[in-house]
Amino acid sequence: MTTKLFGEPVRRREDARLIIGKGRYLDDIGTTATLAAAFVRSPHAHARIVDIDAEAALDVEGIVAIYTYEDLTGALAEPLPVLIPHPQLTAPRTGYPLANGEVNHVGEPIVMVVATDRYIAEDACDRILVTYEELPVVVGVDAAREAAHAVHEEIPDNVAARHHQETGDVEPALAASKNTLSFTQYIERSACTPMEGKGVHARWDADDSSLRVYTSTQASTSVRAAIAAKLDLSLDKVEVIAPDVGGGFGVKIVHPWPEELLVPMAAIALGTEVKWAEDRREHFISSAHERQQKQEITVGYDDEGRITALDVHIWHDNGAYTPYGIIVPIVTATQLVGPYVIPTYRVIVESVYTNTVIVTPYRGAGRPQGCYAMERTLDRIADVLDLDRAVVRERNLIQPDQFPYDQHLTFQDGRPVIYDSGDYPGLMVKLKDLVGWSEASRLRDDAAARGKLLGIGMALYVEGTGPGPYEGGHVQVLGSGKVLVSTGLTSQGQGHETSFAQIVASELGVPIEDIEVTTGDTRRFPYAVGTFASRAAVMSGNAIALAARGVKEKALRIAADVLEVDPGDLEIDEGLVQVKGTPGASIPLRTVAVLSNPLRYAFDEAAKQATQFATTSSDDKPPVAEGDAPGLEHRDYYSPIRSTFASGAHAAIVEIDQTTWEIDVVKYAVVHDCGNVVNPMIVEGQVHGGVAQGVGGALYERMAYDSDGQLQNASFMDFLMPYASEVPDVVIDHQETPSPLNPLGIKGAGEAGVIPGTAAIASAIEDAVGRRIASMPISPTELYDLVRDDTSEKTATALRRVGTGASK
Amino acid sequence: MNLDGSAVLHADPDRVWAVITDPAVLARTIPGCESLEQVGDDEYKMNVTVGVGAIRGTYAGEVRLSDQKRPKSYVMHASGAGGPGNVRATVTINLEPSGDGTALTYSADAVVGGPVAGVGQRMISGVAKRMAGQFFKAIDGELTGAVVPIAAAPSAVAAGAVGEAAPVAAAGGASDGLRVFTGKAAAAPVAGFGGDAQTLAIGAVAGAALTLIGVLVGYRMGRRKG
Repeated sequence: MTTKLFGEPVRRREDARLIIGKGRYLDDIGTTATLAAAFVRSPHAHARIVDIDAEAALDVEGIVAIYTYEDLTGALAEPLPVLIPHPQLTAPRTGYPLANGEVNHVGEPIVMVVATDRYIAEDACDRILVTYEELPVVVGVDAAREAAHAVHEEIPDNVAARHHQETGDVEPALAASKNTLSFTQYIERSACTPMEGKGVHARWDADDSSLRVYTSTQASTSVRAAIAAKLDLSLDKVEVIAPDVGGGFGVKIVHPWPEELLVPMAAIALGTEVKWAEDRREHFISSAHERQQKQEITVGYDDEGRITALDVHIWHDNGAYTPYGIIVPIVTATQLVGPYVIPTYRVIVESVYTNTVIVTPYRGAGRPQGCYAMERTLDRIADVLDLDRAVVRERNLIQPDQFPYDQHLTFQDGRPVIYDSGDYPGLMVKLKDLVGWSEASRLRDDAAARGKLLGIGMALYVEGTGPGPYEGGHVQVLGSGKVLVSTGLTSQGQGHETSFAQIVASELGVPIEDIEVTTGDTRRFPYAVGTFASRAAVMSGNAIALAARGVKEKALRIAADVLEVDPGDLEIDEGLVQVKGTPGASIPLRTVAVLSNPLRYAFDEAAKQATQFATTSSDDKPPVAEGDAPGLEHRDYYSPIRSTFASGAHAAIVEIDQTTWEIDVVKYAVVHDCGNVVNPMIVEGQVHGGVAQGVGGALYERMAYDSDGQLQNASFMDFLMPYASEVPDVVIDHQETPSPLNPLGIKGAGEAGVIPGTAAIASAIEDAVGRRIASMPISPTELYDLVRDDTSEKTATALRRVGTGASK
Repeated sequence: MNLDGSAVLHADPDRVWAVITDPAVLARTIPGCESLEQVGDDEYKMNVTVGVGAIRGTYAGEVRLSDQKRPKSYVMHASGAGGPGNVRATVTINLEPSGDGTALTYSADAVVGGPVAGVGQRMISGVAKRMAGQFFKAIDGELTGAVVPIAAAPSAVAAGAVGEAAPVAAAGGASDGLRVFTGKAAAAPVAGFGGDAQTLAIGAVAGAALTLIGVLVGYRMGRRKG
């Protein structure tokens, strides 16, 4: 078939539109008549609101409305939802859309101002005087754990949840272990920082009492449901559309954000269009962060480096509220074990409140921390036993004949962590080859000759992708030959318009040029869950494939009638239904589409073919058979039994300048297994982007909260992101272990690139400098201080090198 | 919504009662008052223009008094409607001797409806309190023969801003309104009810009512831009 595009590196069809300014992002929506919203946000991390004086704002020409908590009614006046309840989330707390007497982090919204434009709205915000009574501030996991002060008065220990899973009795297993190691390590906060912040545009049509909301979201159907519930509207009167979204990375899966409720509320109250587009500072202080954990790890292992027991106690900073439940702690807890056999495992994650912005999934969603815990544990075992770090890993890997492999844990979707397929030793072979693992010693010497310190590190991961409950797809062939494809989940730049079209082109046998893909528009597809957890290709990809198969079956049935052949003898290629091996005996798919809809009225030339005197349908059957429906379309759903587990292995080589202590990632190798690949170019693009964020998380990005809860680097002047100059060239090798769980055999790929970055780079830096790296990210200054500090822990490997003179 | 406020007036309660019920005074002092007209026993009509912030336009209002206890208290029932909104309010007004003067307190329970209700309570109450402040400030000016700052709690702070923000309502509009009203008042109602404390009390009521009615007096929601 010439239209078999599945697996081909088709260039992204959306890029031309997006890179020449034809994208339609949230802030492109609306007119000069659209009112603008702006927010007065808390400047304090923890305070009671004593008074709000809006008097001076009244004099701002162009101000339209001022809303505070007092203006919220019904469900809107209640706390925001705890989106994912969990029995172990014993003390959930969420904020209100506008603060109700107390603020718990800098940036929490207190007043919404609506004005004729954003400048005026901001000017009015500046004139609103809020009087606060400051309260003690809790910043960081240590302060939260110490609990000298409480973030929420009624939760004196600051513990929101104590997530606990175990696969056996860990203490006797540790006691029986030949060797044990205990250590503590730390990982800092970072954030998604998409190019486009959040944004909401709402338009109320008072004549038919309907609301249309555009929002830069990863979950338009659920935003819709939340708006309907919170604003007491019937679901059928609310439409929510995710327009082009300039990146999400997790922060936009959280919903409803206060603004997603308040902007529609104002649109309804004022009977007009209202828009809010988040600015960068707002995004830093009011959206969401991730990653900060303190990890206390005890591992038991034998003399060959095989793990016998693993006991992990993590303190996880969840910020001021828990709207997204304990998903990040669960993901860390369950994905920590990676591709390894852990005979006895216990993990406890204490999720604690701090007076900082909320912590919700950021690409990787707890996995980078889990990977950091596991991989650094293996590094330490190798260090103590004087074993090659690759060898220790190899000895612990799950073998290909062990699948399906049950880790006896419960995943974020409530389903068991059963790895469906994989070849982890295969990853390792490819990775060592790709990065040149065996060359490391020579490279180190070469670098030393140039005055540089060189180190190499590796990290492996397993990533549960494509969690349910479901996604759907709809495929419709029009009489024009155009094929409309829609799915409810949203796109944030992943190339869905291309990869979903490839799936339909392959399944249906139509040219990709005829296919139009729509995502995240509740008018087109009202049932969906959302784009997160590397699930779009797995979930919507399979649902769309099933929908396309349904269309194909119907098309062949109709064509078989017309051509008077058996449907089994037909195929579709390039949009033409034809008898296999019989050129000329064919009917265009677009004609089949016309015939699929019996007509009375011939509104155009093509339609004539489907009218009552043009067809030769039997007189003793209704034009639309029982159980059939007019139109060449099909809707189908894919609902997995459980997540499918992708895997990968990364290795980094770093070179460190001994004058500036700048850390340069000189090589970065990725072996990636996401099952069958729809589009290798898109997968590689996802990996590249993930690696860039991994490097950022390892070397640059942190959220510099001071002890008062003020975020001191809430701008791109001060928050370091890697530029292209800091992101290494990435070499990639693919391994394809199809998933047995879904029709297309695919696994998710969206987050993978970011997961092992911190672990692999920490390992490489440690290898280079011979000092224990137990806190990430690490800056040149911190590295300099660490190396200069005689009391900082030296690795056994470094001591051996000194002893043998193998390295300086 | 509830709206409470107070003002200190520099005269004893009897004199305050007399002044705040003098239609001529009221016409001069009610910000944006265009006309004030008696339509029955204890019932009055008035038109008020408001020009503050987003709450801007002209409303027609009605006021009825009850429970009058001169010179201590009365209850005003006010309602008003205009293009973009309507309001219904019950306002209790108390006069208490305070040193050489009078402490006037008002407590309003108002229901605001229509699109104007969508602008938020802070906006509505802010405008209402500001207008009340303007009114009582003007009344105190009448009592003392000079404009004296008053302590209407919510608006005192903004006294300076008021002058800048609402020149039309406070100055031009009011004086225009005065002329209009004076003609009407001289023609009938004042003569008929001259000296009648009950009747004149209406004025005070209306003055306070205006603070509420002003609120609903239309709003302009970004129409300039369309």
